[in-house]
Amino acid sequence: MENTTTNNGSSRSVLCIEDEHFISELYTRALTKNGYTVTVISDGAEALKESETNKYDIILLDLMVPNITGIEILRTLRDPARVPPIKAKIIIITNLEQNESVRADIEKQADGYLVKAELTPHELADFVDTIK
Amino acid sequence: MDYLQKLINQTRIRLFLVILVDNIILIGGFWVGNKILSFNAIELVGFLGAIALVETTLIATQMGKYLTQPVKALWQAIMHLSPESNGISAPEVKDLHIGRELVANLTSQIYQLISVADKVNTETNLKVKELSNNFIAQNLPLPLFVLDTGETVKFANQAAAEYIGIAAHELIGKNIYMILDMSFQSEDTFDNWLKNVKSTSATASKSWERVKLAVRDNHPTLLFDLAAYYNRDNPEKNETMLILFDHTKQYSQDDQAISFLALSVHELRAPLTLLRGYIEVFEEELEGKVDDELHGFMEKMHAQAEQLTAFVNNILNVARIDDDQLELKLEEADWEKILHTAIASLNIRAKVRGITLSVKCAPNLPTVGVDRLSVQEVLNNLVDNAVKYSGESKEVIIDAHLTQDGIVETTIQDHGLGIPTSIIPNLFSKFYRDHHNRAQIGGTGLGLYLSKAIVTAHGGNLWVRSHEGEGSTFGFTLLPYAQLSEDAKKNGSDNLTRSAHGWIKNHSLYRR
Repeated sequence: MENTTTNNGSSRSVLCIEDEHFISELYTRALTKNGYTVTVISDGAEALKESETNKYDIILLDLMVPNITGIEILRTLRDPARVPPIKAKIIIITNLEQNESVRADIEKQADGYLVKAELTPHELADFVDTIK
Repeated sequence: MDYLQKLINQTRIRLFLVILVDNIILIGGFWVGNKILSFNAIELVGFLGAIALVETTLIATQMGKYLTQPVKALWQAIMHLSPESNGISAPEVKDLHIGRELVANLTSQIYQLISVADKVNTETNLKVKELSNNFIAQNLPLPLFVLDTGETVKFANQAAAEYIGIAAHELIGKNIYMILDMSFQSEDTFDNWLKNVKSTSATASKSWERVKLAVRDNHPTLLFDLAAYYNRDNPEKNETMLILFDHTKQYSQDDQAISFLALSVHELRAPLTLLRGYIEVFEEELEGKVDDELHGFMEKMHAQAEQLTAFVNNILNVARIDDDQLELKLEEADWEKILHTAIASLNIRAKVRGITLSVKCAPNLPTVGVDRLSVQEVLNNLVDNAVKYSGESKEVIIDAHLTQDGIVETTIQDHGLGIPTSIIPNLFSKFYRDHHNRAQIGGTGLGLYLSKAIVTAHGGNLWVRSHEGEGSTFGFTLLPYAQLSEDAKKNGSDNLTRSAHGWIKNHSLYRR
């Protein structure tokens, strides 16, 4: 675990899987302002392990992270055979262009799909607010 | 045979004329072959030989009656190629359209001659049939199709068969739209043109650039320029001739350039994400702590970063459209809400240029069926353009209302520079033609091309009215959701997914 920023009390927890430090820093700042507890992990394999602890409400998942790709992480976490299922809502955050069919596939398994360049950190935090 | 004797007599008289125009034909053939078709030396000799062969056939089979038309076409070609009458200047690139049409015209005329020659041959047993029949089949290296009144292929030459990879005998008797699944860059497709000329003209010619042909079985997509010549009044009912000028290599290189572009703009997104993030931090933290000038700079920075994001999206979407990959999911939506959301963020961009966006929205508009992000992009593009070209004028008016047909129309009006009349017809398809000349088109080439594709995929229309110096009004229509879902039901589906195309399928049967 690289960095955990905690707000007071029983706030919702976010795991931010993102290897660009500048971006995770900005997201952490905005999410903390909106009352979230944020944990950042930049390594894919480590992030998967952490996700499986099942203690997060929201997972922000970048598709391009080292060691295990975001798509593999998503597939593993959303494996229908998994008991118990991962309770976290998974929101894809990416700047990568997918073709329509790949994107539709990802969207089916995830709870949100955002293009990072299209929204500011604040707008991202507001979006996370809408995910219940 | 009386009628044959008559033809022979006529031909004797015309033989002298034929010899006279002989040189003209060869010079013209040289020009056409060398400059327009860009034949190499061997092809050129073949082409000239073919012309000579046709002349021989022509004299031998006494086609005096049909002689004048091809000669006229050749004359036109020659006159066209040497506008200054010096006879040596090469045609300019912009004249290639006319050049291609003339080639189609001329080849069509020659083909008519051969058809009639064949008929005479059959009646007279002159045994030159094979020669005449093989002229276009073997000597014209350009793919060529001859269509009858019902758009059935009557003839396809060897080059055509090789080009599309289907044996010539399999092409004959088939409907052209079944064989050539062509896509065009504008609504002015071959199919539409032909329908139009059939009802209005006896003869007509036209050429199209960058036509796309999806060939079956993993063949690479072919890209070519197309020339057509239509002639209603000919004895053999060979109404239409199509000639294909292949540019697959050149055009697909351009397409690869677009894919490369798509990849590159992806790389732009990472720094953009950060830039916008930091600007937001500054705005939050420095709010009220900096003077007006610095605050103004920050707003400009914010506006520019958003503009750049929009531009990156435009480029990516154009690449997607050309890959047939932009898919729109139409959903029921309150247009007034979408309009106000879009305008709120556009206001930031307008404000830094000192321009006010005034929004008028008629009350009680029906809900529309739209792909939210895509229509927002249309609004972004049209409003950004209006702001960019506002000149000294300080207001852009956005007006949403219901048309008489019960369709939601939104107009974006500026009182700025306006658009020269000569540019308007090309406004929405300009991107490709000027694609090597980015400096000239600025940002607009992409935005309008994209907006048009998006609006069209919604079942709407995008139009423009403009006077140079008085400003422009762009307008687009969207269908009420009720109508969309009713239409879908009528077609036995509830599918409201649409694809946006930069290419328009040739025939309505094939339009998605």
